[in-house]
Amino acid sequence: MDGESLSRGAKILFRITCFNGALTIDITQTTISLFAVTLIVSILAIVLGKGITKRPGRKQALVEKIVMMLYNLVETTMGKHNLKYAPLVGTIFAASLFGTLIGLTKIFRSTTADLMVVLGMSLVTSMLCWYEGIRNRGFFGWLKSYTEPVAFITPINLVSEVSQPLSMTFRHFGNIAGGGVLMSIVYAALGSASSLLFKWLPASIASVMPPILQVGIPAVLSLYFDLFSGLMQAFVFSLLTMVYIAQANPAPVPGENAKAKKPKKAKKQKAPASNGIQQTDAPAHQS
Amino acid sequence: MSFQVFTDQFEQFIGTNFWTMIIAWINILIMYLILRKFLFKPVKKMIDARQKEVDDMYANAAEATKAADEMKADYEQKLAKATEESEQIVKDAVRRAQLREEEMIRDAEGQASRILARAEEQIELEKNQAINDIKNEVSGLAVDLASAIISRDVDAAEHEQFIDDFISRIGDEN
Repeated sequence: MDGESLSRGAKILFRITCFNGALTIDITQTTISLFAVTLIVSILAIVLGKGITKRPGRKQALVEKIVMMLYNLVETTMGKHNLKYAPLVGTIFAASLFGTLIGLTKIFRSTTADLMVVLGMSLVTSMLCWYEGIRNRGFFGWLKSYTEPVAFITPINLVSEVSQPLSMTFRHFGNIAGGGVLMSIVYAALGSASSLLFKWLPASIASVMPPILQVGIPAVLSLYFDLFSGLMQAFVFSLLTMVYIAQANPAPVPGENAKAKKPKKAKKQKAPASNGIQQTDAPAHQS
Repeated sequence: MSFQVFTDQFEQFIGTNFWTMIIAWINILIMYLILRKFLFKPVKKMIDARQKEVDDMYANAAEATKAADEMKADYEQKLAKATEESEQIVKDAVRRAQLREEEMIRDAEGQASRILARAEEQIELEKNQAINDIKNEVSGLAVDLASAIISRDVDAAEHEQFIDDFISRIGDEN
């Protein structure tokens, strides 16, 4: 992939037109990359999640570490009542990270270098925030929450609501796409520099000399712009997802009636545990 | 439905292809379902189960230790009590034995003194009887002797003869 294609956007590979042109679907590089990422992540998930036993092997120890890190992060950021979102946060992290890293193959284009992919991911977050808002306050209560604390602040609230996914989107997209553009500029510049380096040679020899300066130097930059930035953005993006959803679904107050569901669940989980202790008590006393 | 292949078409750098977003959603959904079903749920379930098992084990261990401590204290108490009891029993037995010994000695002494007394009594009785017998004998002898003296006139030789006879008679009688 050369620099030009990155600064232009994803290459359209083919176009499907249905219903006499009423519906056109452009299949781009990003589309292919998206499915590739899904395939890779799914295979990884199935391979890593296979054969989980109580006595962990070497592979399972790693898998457990990762899963526990995710759940602990979700628990500390979002609270225990939001633990059900851990798989989603993990998915967004994986989609973002692998979507960025797949660009390193140079066969696929980074999915996160496409604005609409990142917008889609941040809209998932926004929609979950809205869902939690409606679930907690009811539809009109949720609408009313935009007029709080005072009515005239409503436009500002609406702007902040819209800017939330947009800022997430452009932060992620800008970092990855910008990094990609920068890398391609560096490649182009180094290519030119190495052709300048061989200018003193006869033209016939200079034209077959490899762009020697492209070796090594971009690797250091790529380490930052692709690997580190990709990891960082994936982390930041999933962290923001957690924070926004946690804001929309705050921890239930124990005394509140509307939240009676959750303490019950916690009790249910506790009850069998105490039963288990009592059951195991009996033989201990007999012996 | 038509199908057109491009070789040199690019999207804008800030692309607005809505279909990309839809496909991204579909992919995220697929990934979410697969990750949850095959990775997060089983691993979390297993970790929770193991955590619970470990907690149970610790609870059981604490319980068992407590029970063992209680039993140990119980046994120690019982042991101490048993030792005390055995000492008491030995002490009692020794005291009783001493008492019995003293009693036996006392009995034996009493019996011995009684036997001695009876023996002395009997000796006394027999002595008295013997004395009485002797007295009777002597008085009889005296009467015999007197009647013999009276019945005959004797000289000295005769007297001597007579006394010798008499004495020999006594000897014969004895």
